[in-house]
Amino acid sequence: MIVEFWGQEFKINIIFGCIGAFLLAIVASMFGFGGGPFMVPLMTVGLGLPMYLVVGSSLTAIFFNTVMGTMRHYQFGNFDMTFFLIMFPAAILGGYIAPQIAKRISPLMVKRVAVAGLVLLGLNLLGLY
Amino acid sequence: MITKKNVIILVLFLLAIGSYYIQPGEAQDPATPPQSAQPETAAAPSTPGADTVMVPPVSVAPPAPAPAPPPAVTLSIDKTTVDNGGAVTVKGQGVAGKPVFLEVWAEKQVRSSFFDSKPDKDGKIPYKLYLTHALPASYKIYAPKDKKEIFDAYKAKGSGWAYSEALKEMGADVAYMAPSKIAIDAYQSTIMASIIGSRGEKLPDLDDKETRRRAMQLTKARFRSIGVLISPSIEQNADGSFTAKVNIPQGAAPGKYFIVAYADKALRSQPAVVENNIGFPMMYLSNAGTSLNIIWPFLLTLAIGIFGVLMGAGGGFLLNPILISLWPLPHTVVAGTVMPTVAFSQASGIYNYSKIKFINWKLGITMGIAMLAGGFIGPKLTELITLDQFKFVFGWILLILAALMFWQTTPGYMAKNKKEQAILTEFKKRAEAAAKAK
Repeated sequence: MIVEFWGQEFKINIIFGCIGAFLLAIVASMFGFGGGPFMVPLMTVGLGLPMYLVVGSSLTAIFFNTVMGTMRHYQFGNFDMTFFLIMFPAAILGGYIAPQIAKRISPLMVKRVAVAGLVLLGLNLLGLY
Repeated sequence: MITKKNVIILVLFLLAIGSYYIQPGEAQDPATPPQSAQPETAAAPSTPGADTVMVPPVSVAPPAPAPAPPPAVTLSIDKTTVDNGGAVTVKGQGVAGKPVFLEVWAEKQVRSSFFDSKPDKDGKIPYKLYLTHALPASYKIYAPKDKKEIFDAYKAKGSGWAYSEALKEMGADVAYMAPSKIAIDAYQSTIMASIIGSRGEKLPDLDDKETRRRAMQLTKARFRSIGVLISPSIEQNADGSFTAKVNIPQGAAPGKYFIVAYADKALRSQPAVVENNIGFPMMYLSNAGTSLNIIWPFLLTLAIGIFGVLMGAGGGFLLNPILISLWPLPHTVVAGTVMPTVAFSQASGIYNYSKIKFINWKLGITMGIAMLAGGFIGPKLTELITLDQFKFVFGWILLILAALMFWQTTPGYMAKNKKEQAILTEFKKRAEAAAKAK
């Protein structure tokens, strides 16, 4: 498939991309996360697309998964309204505050903190400490 | 050439088909308690007079001494209400020489599911899913103190302890009554059914014995730890009298709690009722069966929402594992509620990128359709795994994510990224200028 973006053309293997996206979507909807951080490498490394094309398009792709996953979770009775109403305003508020903070701190620092935090949380879930 | 419009129509069509798939039987319906969890109370004390009435009145003998009343089990409690949990002292009279057990359960009901994937006696794996909406939101059996050794032995087994065996060995299975008659739906799961996102064929209703057995598995699936389900803490004297502290934990469901004492299956007391009141900011999550102080999840979501945007990963990666670690929430409810929460931040992101024409719709929607299919299958799999399996897989996902993030902090990636970020900024500027010019 040929992807056109701002006057540039990229040739990609869409079959590979779709299989990857399909598998990612199963895991993401099963465990209830969006999947952006996996989608971006799939598109950049897997399909060889540049970052500036991927940021918006990957978000569009995972949104489909989130909507379908939400619908299906609701159908299986996994949705709790009260809980949603507690978290939803906080998530929206966070979305407004974050860009204000983002201007003032280095993204490299955030990534390093995130790596440490993710490793700790991951090991905790595996019951290693 | 596929036009944008055609693709959008196709997507809407697929969504419409997807929504038709909702089977009425599977739709969310937590409001109907199919069966009350309250057992019929024993009519033991009312019978003794029956025989004597039938004795003919002409009898010359002096009136027969009234037959000794059958041993009765009684109990009294020191308070009838608690605020957001608390201890209730239970005093009562059991039967001398027989251990006494207390069954404590909440009136509120929750959902529980259990996937039977252990090989049976013939080595065949049943792959059956059991599901109930009527499990008490809180459940505990208190046993005499001298059962502590058995309790400790089962506790040492970790998460693999068997609830039914532990109850039997303690003799406490006589007190397992409230959940033993709940309505349970059974489904025969198959790989094919999982692929098309269905629970599988619904099996005929379970008989009483099977219901009791599966109810125990569902109880264990919901409450997991032996410390939550059993407490060997009743002090019983030689004459059968006993005292115990029934603890309704913080964060338990509000509403009525029933306490019944058992000496054996037929010999039980009338239920005592304790009301658990919770007030703002505590709120009860009816689907999760837990009350919590809403300020904490709010602050947690806020913090993770901010951090998620900064690190470039949606909140779901952090929110899910932290929520299940901090509160006794079922992983199904957490996954099913976090997803719609992140949907809105994704939508606002898409809106912002689309304003500056920064989305390639053809690519996004093509991959999106593949994800639509995946998203159809995934949520059904959530209820097939236990919380421990959920944690295990999530742990690995987070480690992989950490590796990915680490790679993004390596110098080689940073240099490449710097170039691309410069292009991105340049494009954004041009796009914004173009948008303004219109």
